[in-house]
Amino acid sequence: MPETLRATSEQQFAGELEALARADDRPRPPNWKLSPWAVSTYLLGGALGSSTEITPKYIGNRRIIEIAVATLATDRALLLLGVPGTAKTWVSEHLAAAISGDSTLLVQGTAGTAEEAVRYGWNYARLLAEGPSSRALVPSPIMRAMQAGKIARVEELTRIPSDVQDAMITNLSEKALQIPELNEQIQAIKGFNVIATANDRDRGVNELSSALKRRFNTVVLPLPESADEEVRIVQRRCEALGRALELPAEPPALDEIRRVVVIFRELRDGKSTDGKTKLKSPSSTLSTAEAISVINSGQALAAHFGDAKMCAGDLAAGLTGAVIKDPVQDRIVWQEYLEAVVKERPGWKDLYRACREIL
Amino acid sequence: MTDRSTVTIYGIRHHGPGSARSLTRALRAFEPDCILIEGPADAAEPLSLLRHPEMEPPVALLGYVPDDPRRAVYYPFAVFSPEWQALQYGLSRGIKTAFMDLPVSAQLALAEADGAADVSLDTPAQVAEGLPETATPGPHPRDDPLRWLAEAAGYGDGERWWEHLVEQRRNAEGLFAGVLEAMSELRRELPPAADDFQAGRELGREAHMRTVIRAARKEGFDRIAVVCGAWHAPALVADDMPPAKSDAALLKSLPKVKAQVTWVPWTYGRLSRNSGYGAGIASPGWYHHLWSYPENVTERWLTRVARLLRAEDLDASSAQIIEAVRLAEALAALRDRPLPGLEELDEAAQAVFCFGNTLALRLIEQKLTIGDRLGRVPPDTPLVPLQRDVQREQKRLRLSPKASREILELDLRREIDLGRSLLMHRLALLDIPWGSPEQARGTGTFKEIWSLQWLPELAVKIIEAATWGNTVLEAAGAFARHLADDVPNLPALTALIGRVFLAELPDAAEHVMQRLQNEAALASDVALLIDALPPLANALRYGNVRETDARLVSSVVDGLVARICVGLPIACGSLNDDAAGEMLGRLAAMHEAVTLLQRSEHQSVWTAVLRRLADLPNLNGLIAGRAVRLLLETRSLGPEEAAQRMSLALSAAADPLVAAGWLEGFLGGSGLVLLHDEPLWGVVDEWVTGLSGELFTRVLPLLRRTFGAFAPPERRQMGARVKGGGQVGSPSAPGLATPGGAFDRARAEAVLPLIRQLLGI
Repeated sequence: MPETLRATSEQQFAGELEALARADDRPRPPNWKLSPWAVSTYLLGGALGSSTEITPKYIGNRRIIEIAVATLATDRALLLLGVPGTAKTWVSEHLAAAISGDSTLLVQGTAGTAEEAVRYGWNYARLLAEGPSSRALVPSPIMRAMQAGKIARVEELTRIPSDVQDAMITNLSEKALQIPELNEQIQAIKGFNVIATANDRDRGVNELSSALKRRFNTVVLPLPESADEEVRIVQRRCEALGRALELPAEPPALDEIRRVVVIFRELRDGKSTDGKTKLKSPSSTLSTAEAISVINSGQALAAHFGDAKMCAGDLAAGLTGAVIKDPVQDRIVWQEYLEAVVKERPGWKDLYRACREIL
Repeated sequence: MTDRSTVTIYGIRHHGPGSARSLTRALRAFEPDCILIEGPADAAEPLSLLRHPEMEPPVALLGYVPDDPRRAVYYPFAVFSPEWQALQYGLSRGIKTAFMDLPVSAQLALAEADGAADVSLDTPAQVAEGLPETATPGPHPRDDPLRWLAEAAGYGDGERWWEHLVEQRRNAEGLFAGVLEAMSELRRELPPAADDFQAGRELGREAHMRTVIRAARKEGFDRIAVVCGAWHAPALVADDMPPAKSDAALLKSLPKVKAQVTWVPWTYGRLSRNSGYGAGIASPGWYHHLWSYPENVTERWLTRVARLLRAEDLDASSAQIIEAVRLAEALAALRDRPLPGLEELDEAAQAVFCFGNTLALRLIEQKLTIGDRLGRVPPDTPLVPLQRDVQREQKRLRLSPKASREILELDLRREIDLGRSLLMHRLALLDIPWGSPEQARGTGTFKEIWSLQWLPELAVKIIEAATWGNTVLEAAGAFARHLADDVPNLPALTALIGRVFLAELPDAAEHVMQRLQNEAALASDVALLIDALPPLANALRYGNVRETDARLVSSVVDGLVARICVGLPIACGSLNDDAAGEMLGRLAAMHEAVTLLQRSEHQSVWTAVLRRLADLPNLNGLIAGRAVRLLLETRSLGPEEAAQRMSLALSAAADPLVAAGWLEGFLGGSGLVLLHDEPLWGVVDEWVTGLSGELFTRVLPLLRRTFGAFAPPERRQMGARVKGGGQVGSPSAPGLATPGGAFDRARAEAVLPLIRQLLGI
């Protein structure tokens, strides 16, 4: 087997899925590989019997995953909403893998996504040669999911032009797909459902029509609740990334990670951790994923240009870039933050100086 | 005779609708001839008002010490409170219905003896409630016995466990026996209470309850129903009672204080936990719903959610209700629960109706989960403490309420008038408009004029305000804090802080300042920030702000000044003439405030910002000109540099409109200032005389435009002065009467006799 850069979730966690299926004695909705309980366990992790340990895929609020699974069990479509970097795609992929054993029925939404991608297209050579027939039809991932009773995934739903979005309404409400050219109708097999993800920062790109919105249950994936939780996520991912990129630097120091996470959280929440100072929030998202990338670039700087040990100076550039997205407003926010919080905090002088230097 | 009577103990959870329903059913089956309820035994008199047609829950029994109304306890009742239902059952059947708990007089005395003299609004719950004290995480399980059972059952918190096991249960058979058994077991396992005060009070309460039960049996009642918090149930079982003598001895040793008990209207908001009411329940509205609709709870609730959202102009279709019901039920199934609870319903509502948005959810919480129901008490209810306090104040300050309008003139330097003023300001803050302020004639800050008129509805307003506190001072403080949390924006907060300062409410002032600080941190409109500054600066400089307040105010002022200085240059960018005109006023206000504060750090930052404004390219001329002028005034800019900037701004390459604006801003739009401000005159003069003839012709239109706006007499004076200055021969300082040759000694001496006469020398 050739070495793929990244295996799909159902390949990567085949062992866990199999163990869960074996141990699972709860009722399963039609065509589900696992019961809703087992799907939640797969995502949230937990011990299975005595021998098998299920690793957590999603670190965070248990209730969010429960709502998502319950939604899919009531055959309503699921819309995962959140700022960039809150593991929307990650959750949708694992949900599809656990429920259908197949996370590959995927439509990537872009401004150029055409109706063929959500309905069907034609094999034009065959269409010309034989005329319209079901053999000349090229099914979309959604159509294939309907036929097989699986979960289809739509990424970045709000980037898809509105007319294409609306083409999905019948798929979702009638659970059927009309093919007027053949005077046929594809009826979805039980187990079919759609998980869509959308970014609520640019909701305005192609806002969902209320007709389509009504077909979805919306679950918002929040940013990590506690600082410790976020530090854990960042540290885990940074170490994994550092290994993948073969960076010669030492693993990132926990202190530096904590500082970045604290800064991001404070700016995001609009107040300091001790709850004493209120702050303005910048226009940038400052998600966990961005914290990971700041640490990562700091690590790379330290490895290639520094002494392999990440210090405040290595972080400053990445931090400033992450915070200041709007050159006027965010700059004020960042300046105020530096003066009001960073400057005063014991032990943060180095970071203050490093950030002031490049501002 | 004791053998004949049956005593049945009903251990309930305060404010639990499931308990209430089970209890009414059980009472109907048991048909008691006497009902004893956990509640202060000295509240017999108010009990007679309970069947009054105008009595409408939620209401609370209020016990207080008449001489010191701050010492008070509340026993709130909602329609779904088991105690309320038991009272209604007993009174409607005309059987003996009485409270059996320790009287308020003893409870308050005990609290006092413990040093908790101010058992005020913040802690009544602990006195009033026996059972679900989850809000105070005490180490002793007595504080929250249910949590221990819940933890044993694998639940996170006692409330939810009880909810699933008891409140949502449809049939109640064996429930009370089960509760009794569980609590007996729990009490047996637990160590005695760690806190002496709590333990002592509890012993006393249970002793009193037992004594009342014994008395009822002696009186010859056959079937006695005892309704109490689940925790107390095991202590009241007839077979296990300690000898009557020891209880009597214990009760005798308890202190007593003179207390009164009355009814006050209550609200669901106050019943809910997040109003700081310790033993409250998180969701009175939801309980009310559970109580009102035993069937189809989920469907009805989500329909109400949908209707609420529609009323707020949010989309909520019937199809969505169906989907939400399905999701809530699926969630409950996933969590192995028989029925969706509030948690599942909220999550379903958020996912289906609100598209993941939590804002609408907050609306649901406020309007439905908590609810805005306000209770009513009959008009013949005895007075509430706040009314008493108002009467006391009226007596103290010799102000009797009169139905006719009268004018009251106060001299705040007199103690009694100051007291009157404070009372008026505090009542006004509480929205009890007995007096309304009138414009005081004269300029003294020590004079206030009020127009007083007592209206009957003021009494109602006082009762309404009574929920905020038992004295005017306390209530005004609490209400001001509440207002501060409610007002939407900075100007409103600034207005409020003024009223709070006038009413001298230090605690509230602190809170409002905190809010102000937070709001200022978020405000992006520099104009609003500047508007907020002058009142604070005034208060800091002139007001009778106390020491602690002053520190707080000054820190807020520091924050404001810093924020204004950071944001001002951007706020001044791209303004049209009208907007710049407004900004000009604000610059002046800001300058005045900074000057008033006389703090060197403010001044240096402010000067730096003005300098930046003066240097900014493409700034509206008005503002740039004024910035230079203000710099000149503070002597941060020498006259030479000012003149240099002036010629730069008015040079030929500059846009004439901008240049005209600059000059206008610089001269301040009034010729008088130019006439009387020596250095300013000097600068302008230096600049004009420095112009070459050709250049002068070119800038003449600009000058004419600005000077033409001055009043003719001013222009004439200027002309005279320029002429006179020319005579003096010193172009740089034409107005100065330089001592020297031109000084006519004889003429000066001629006026001396008159001056002597004037001065009386």
